[in-house]
Amino acid sequence: MTTAVRLMATVKKMLNTTLGEPMKLRSRLLTKLPLLKFPLLLALAIAFVSAHAQGAPKRIEVTAHRFNFSPAEITLKKGEPVVLVLKSTDVAHGLRFRDLHVELNVRAGSSTEVTFTPDKTGDFTGHCSVFCGSGHGSMALKLHVTE
Amino acid sequence: MPWTRDSNTIARIALGLAAFAPLAGCKASAPGKSETRTITFAKHHIFVGNKNQKNPLPNNAQTLVDGKEAFTHYCVACHGLDGQNTGVPFADRMAPPVPSLASPEVQQYTDGQLKWILDNGIWPSGMPASKGTLSDEELWSIVVFIRHLPPAGSLGEPEMYTH
Repeated sequence: MTTAVRLMATVKKMLNTTLGEPMKLRSRLLTKLPLLKFPLLLALAIAFVSAHAQGAPKRIEVTAHRFNFSPAEITLKKGEPVVLVLKSTDVAHGLRFRDLHVELNVRAGSSTEVTFTPDKTGDFTGHCSVFCGSGHGSMALKLHVTE
Repeated sequence: MPWTRDSNTIARIALGLAAFAPLAGCKASAPGKSETRTITFAKHHIFVGNKNQKNPLPNNAQTLVDGKEAFTHYCVACHGLDGQNTGVPFADRMAPPVPSLASPEVQQYTDGQLKWILDNGIWPSGMPASKGTLSDEELWSIVVFIRHLPPAGSLGEPEMYTH
């Protein structure tokens, strides 16, 4: 009996010396953990509220196919970020607004997107920027940017 | 009036040109000097319109890059990568032949006239009308490229003729 007890004591001592430090650290951390709960919750709450206060950027989907964009006309607000998604249902197309320095290229049958913020008001015309056939030059998308 | 290009006028031009056809036997051979001089004068001063329109695009590096891009996708088969027929096997075997875009004959048109030619083509040559096929922006950027052509031969030959 005493041998067993002594053996246990030795094993415990060994564990304490080899794993002693880390085990002590871990137990120290574990005791501190409840203190982290509050700041963590606070950080999460702030992130949640701010994301909803701004709103996630509006997504606008434009479908390109020979030889038009649909919708053919969109309206955006100056200063508001927007995700412009360009989809092609046939060949490769592009969409370029020269004055807004925005250009997307989409592969055949694929989809692509860009996030941008219109920085001026007015009416802009986007053209297809990837040669796609005989009607390529007449593909246009009217963009109105309002205050 | 000869400078309105309606179907009556075209019929008259056709008859006039048809007068030359028996001499050539319908083969695509180079026109003579006086024929070339006459037609060049007529194109510059009578038939090619839009003399006074100015290029709405800025004459800068970005427009040049855009013009070169559009030209390379669309015009190279007949005009070569440099606009001077480099590598185009049939350029001088069409009637009328494909001119070098760097030649005085072409450079003496105004920007507006070059745009007119791109929009409407030149009948009865192989120059097609591209209005609607390329956007106005692309066509105007090609005009800028035509004004700043690279040295002849410096861009090599169109790949379609060499692989």
